[in-house]
Amino acid sequence: MLSISNLHAAYGKVEVLHGISLEVPKGKVVTLIGSNGAGKTTTMRAISGMIKPVSGTVMLGGKDITGLDSHRISRAGLAHSPEGRRVFSTMSVNDNLMLGAFPRLTGSRPKGDVNADLEKAMELFPRLKERRTQLAGTLSGGEQQMLAMARAVMLNPDVILLDEPSMGLAPILVDEVFRIIRNLKERGVTMLLVEQFAAAALNVADHGYVLENGRIAVSGPAEKLRDDPAVKAAYLGG
Amino acid sequence: MEILLQLLFSGIALGMIYAVIAFGYQLTFATSGTLNFGQGEALMLGALVGLSLVSTIHGGPYLNFWLMIPVVMVFGALQGAVVEWIGVRPAIKAKSEFGWIMSTIALAIIFKNVAENIWGKDDLTFPSPVSATPFHVFGANVQLMQVLVVIGAIAMMLAVELFNRKSIYGKAVVATSNDPDAAGLMGINTGMVITFSYALSSATAAFAGVLVAPLTLTGATMGTSLGLKAFAVAIIGGLTSGMGAVVGGLILGISETLTGFYVSTGYKEVPGLVLLLLVLAIKPAGLFGKAAIKKV
Amino acid sequence: MNAKKLGLYVAGIALLALFPVVVRNPYYIHLAETILIYAILLFGLDIVVGYTGEVSLGHAGLFGIGSYTAGIFFFKLGVPYVMLVVGASVVVTAMFGAILALPALRVTGPYLAMVTLAFGTIIQILINEMTFLTEGPLGIKVPKPSLFGHKLNELEYFYFVAILMLFALVAVNRILRSHLGRAFQALRDSPVACDCMGVSVYRYKVYAFVISAALAGLAGSLYTYSEEYISPNTYNFELTILFLLAVIMGGRKTRSGPLLGALIVVTLPSLLSDISLFRGIATAAAILGVVITAILLVKRQKTWRDVIVPVTSVIAMAAFSYNLENIVDWRLTIFGFMTLFVVYYLQDGIVGYLRNVSGKLWPRRAEVNDIDGVSASEAWAPRSQAAQTSGKLLEASNILMQFGGLKALNAVDLHVARGAIHGLIGPNGSGKSTMMNVLTGIYQPTAGSVAFDARSIVGQTPSQIALAGIARTFQNVQLFGEMTATENVLVGLHHTFHSNLFDVVFNTRRYRDEERAAHQRAAGILQFVGLSDMAHEEARNLPYGKQRLLEIGRALGLDPKLLLLDEPAAGLTAPDIKVLIEIIRKIRDHGITIILIEHHMDVVMTISDLVTVLDFGQKIAEEKPALVQSDPKVIEAYLGSSVTDSAHAVQSVADAAPA
Repeated sequence: MLSISNLHAAYGKVEVLHGISLEVPKGKVVTLIGSNGAGKTTTMRAISGMIKPVSGTVMLGGKDITGLDSHRISRAGLAHSPEGRRVFSTMSVNDNLMLGAFPRLTGSRPKGDVNADLEKAMELFPRLKERRTQLAGTLSGGEQQMLAMARAVMLNPDVILLDEPSMGLAPILVDEVFRIIRNLKERGVTMLLVEQFAAAALNVADHGYVLENGRIAVSGPAEKLRDDPAVKAAYLGG
Repeated sequence: MEILLQLLFSGIALGMIYAVIAFGYQLTFATSGTLNFGQGEALMLGALVGLSLVSTIHGGPYLNFWLMIPVVMVFGALQGAVVEWIGVRPAIKAKSEFGWIMSTIALAIIFKNVAENIWGKDDLTFPSPVSATPFHVFGANVQLMQVLVVIGAIAMMLAVELFNRKSIYGKAVVATSNDPDAAGLMGINTGMVITFSYALSSATAAFAGVLVAPLTLTGATMGTSLGLKAFAVAIIGGLTSGMGAVVGGLILGISETLTGFYVSTGYKEVPGLVLLLLVLAIKPAGLFGKAAIKKV
Repeated sequence: MNAKKLGLYVAGIALLALFPVVVRNPYYIHLAETILIYAILLFGLDIVVGYTGEVSLGHAGLFGIGSYTAGIFFFKLGVPYVMLVVGASVVVTAMFGAILALPALRVTGPYLAMVTLAFGTIIQILINEMTFLTEGPLGIKVPKPSLFGHKLNELEYFYFVAILMLFALVAVNRILRSHLGRAFQALRDSPVACDCMGVSVYRYKVYAFVISAALAGLAGSLYTYSEEYISPNTYNFELTILFLLAVIMGGRKTRSGPLLGALIVVTLPSLLSDISLFRGIATAAAILGVVITAILLVKRQKTWRDVIVPVTSVIAMAAFSYNLENIVDWRLTIFGFMTLFVVYYLQDGIVGYLRNVSGKLWPRRAEVNDIDGVSASEAWAPRSQAAQTSGKLLEASNILMQFGGLKALNAVDLHVARGAIHGLIGPNGSGKSTMMNVLTGIYQPTAGSVAFDARSIVGQTPSQIALAGIARTFQNVQLFGEMTATENVLVGLHHTFHSNLFDVVFNTRRYRDEERAAHQRAAGILQFVGLSDMAHEEARNLPYGKQRLLEIGRALGLDPKLLLLDEPAAGLTAPDIKVLIEIIRKIRDHGITIILIEHHMDVVMTISDLVTVLDFGQKIAEEKPALVQSDPKVIEAYLGSSVTDSAHAVQSVADAAPA
């Protein structure tokens, strides 16, 4: 579904990604793990157009989306739940979710039944249901994370990028986040998941990539990676 | 007592004009963090284009006052889009604050100078669309136009507010002001939203221009000080609060008419500017604004 | 001063001296005099615009205050001594500059621009309205002054202005090359880092405005005598824009820029009054523009999109010039377009552009400082060796930092032993950087106490804390990008200067000694961090790894007792990290205590004496490195073992971790 080859990206003059290649097959969950500063978030941003890659290609369902503006990539069917949640804090939960469906409501993606999907999202994220009219800024960190993920689902996307959904959350909420990811997976949603909790991520994923200093160090089926010393190296510094 | 009341009434009318212009500053600030230093000039152009449409100075009248308003607002929107396109977009791209400050100032000078050449340097009279004969409220003289100004200003702000809250496009504007990057991820073309906010901002200013014109003199120089004082209002009220703009506008409008009467008309510009300096020195986020947490 | 510069000065002085003798036309002499007066003001405006990076729209107002102070002193008070009048103008205007700077303490950018605009507007209103002082719109007539009982004629007054301009030039040059000038630049490039180097952003912004205003006052008073008549309308918004245009067009952060800018804006109006001349220039510019564009397009250096706007504008300008009857009426439009052009296509001004071009044609050798006797003789060694080697240097207790509902730090204790390297780790968002910001005074903790060297530092400003001996680096490098590596370190050494403005302007012994000593120490520090061969490179042009090292060097300039390193290894390559570890060790060996935030576990684990682990705003462990790595709570924080069925994976990772 999503296919990235030889992606290079930089902040200013500093190149952070030195040629990343990875595949996210349809209906699968792929995780990208690695220590802080390895380039996980940069990879996500380069895919979704938040930064322009220096070189390489990003293909979404056979369509080249490399270097497009993020709003075009979103309209092409890629949803990105960014690091730090980034919900629209002065707007209600409902409005946040409607904005997730912006391309559908404005005719750049098939509309479908937005309201029905909204209800479905509420079922999937029960914590949001009781807070529909509350301003997103008044939600707890965990609830904001749910909102960010629900907002991505509202696009009806071909692929969802989830960047550090567990960041800064209390353990019990981390559990819930992962339960939802598993739930989404069962519904056949294609996901690329960036996590600092490697073990948990590898548990839910089909396939994993370990990123080190802007390069893919190891990759393989998730079960295999769980026992790989490279995973340990990426986390506790060997 | 009647005099005081009368000053109060004209202060309120004036204050609402400031509020509308200040509201325009807030619109662009929300979406892009930039301000149009030529906001006053947008108002002036609106008033003068309106004047050409309803009076005889350029072979008119072409339209009556009420039909002229939408035409002037379309003109204002185009003018605002041009400012954004030439002056602001390249600077946002280059992340140059100095760039947009200087280029919106430069465009303001150009607009003013062009207006001087088209409409002349002298002030002109704008024909009032309603009877100029005042009526009495508690013994104080009130002009119908003053009432219209207040109603028009409130209607304009409510309309924008309603658009932002109810329509999906308005929500896109609010989303962009919350977090442009995240808005982009939602499929919102934030560049377009910024252009739109400039268009809306200048259209609002142009609307304010035709509202205020019948009450004052109209001319190429009318914009600069109105723009500056409306900025004071935007700061006093806080750049993020629509309510703040109204309160700030009223404070300034009333203090100005009082100063003009009790001190000297020459000094009537001073309280607003002093207020601006004071607010910025003491509470830069404004009376209604929220202070941002600084991140390192 | 090197020979080339001396030559320039001599040539300049000769030009000034000979100009009125050669050009005898009083009109041109007066024009030249105006250029010199504007140049004085522009030197000052450049301090604000070029160095501190603020937009001032109030300089016409300051200029007016200078003019009217002179006018009032002469006209109302009858003071005949020109030096006294000029001096009074300088002092009064400087005072107004201080008033103008007060809001500048709280705001920057567009707000400050509006404040200065409001200030300028108020001044113009006051000049108009305060008729008892200023005679209002009537204006004031002032004859040429007398000096030592001799009434100056036009020619003599020209020389008087020329001498004062040269004085201003030298003074401004010296100020901007001194620690004051470095502070001005630093606060523009990174205000946070500036404060954390013990250079108070507030104070130096006020200094910059005061010096700038003093020069505007000097220029204003000279203008009064030059014109012999002043009236309120001169000091309007248009003049302010003209000043700004002159500075940015001439070239910021140079002395030649303002001179050139003054020449342009003073001669421009008379140039524009001649329509045929203007048509000629506009046509030439259009042809030139088209030719350059054609070349660029053929060479494929630019695309159509890049060039379409400027090219159409120059062509439109030329076409426009033939449709005009009266160019004077369109003067402001032309100024406006020139400003737009400069802002977008000539950002470094004419002087900057020429320098870039000549720099490409003849690469300049690294600019060597003309402070004598500076040699990178000895590597850095801290001055104040820590007297005691035991006990706690820093005791932060029960720190609570709350942002709205979020507790970024929740009752955290951090006690750091003297002479230790104390590691601070934790997942993203666990509160490490917040802790740094609390310790350096950027955040005020909601509750809790911080004692440094047994004194409380809660409530002190970042610059006070820095001067007390806490230096830091930043997670996102915060160097002063437009300054050289040496200058960056010199900002860190700012605290070693005790010279005042007088010392700097008159280049006294004290100042020269301090400057020499500071340069020597800077050279030593650069040698220590291995940047000697890049000492004269601008910080923004250094490779990333070197930038991190330079930040450490700059922090060492403060002579700190405690050094906070915020992710120093982030983005570094493996060999760079080795060098870094070596440097951190050496710093500790010199008796400086270090707090190290780092994600590269190998770095933390090899050099820390003690490691504190934060998670979710709370301290979850504090142990020796080896123990931390096997602490189940730490592993959980990093790997998220609470996900029920992942226990197996976590266990295998934990088992693999070295003891």
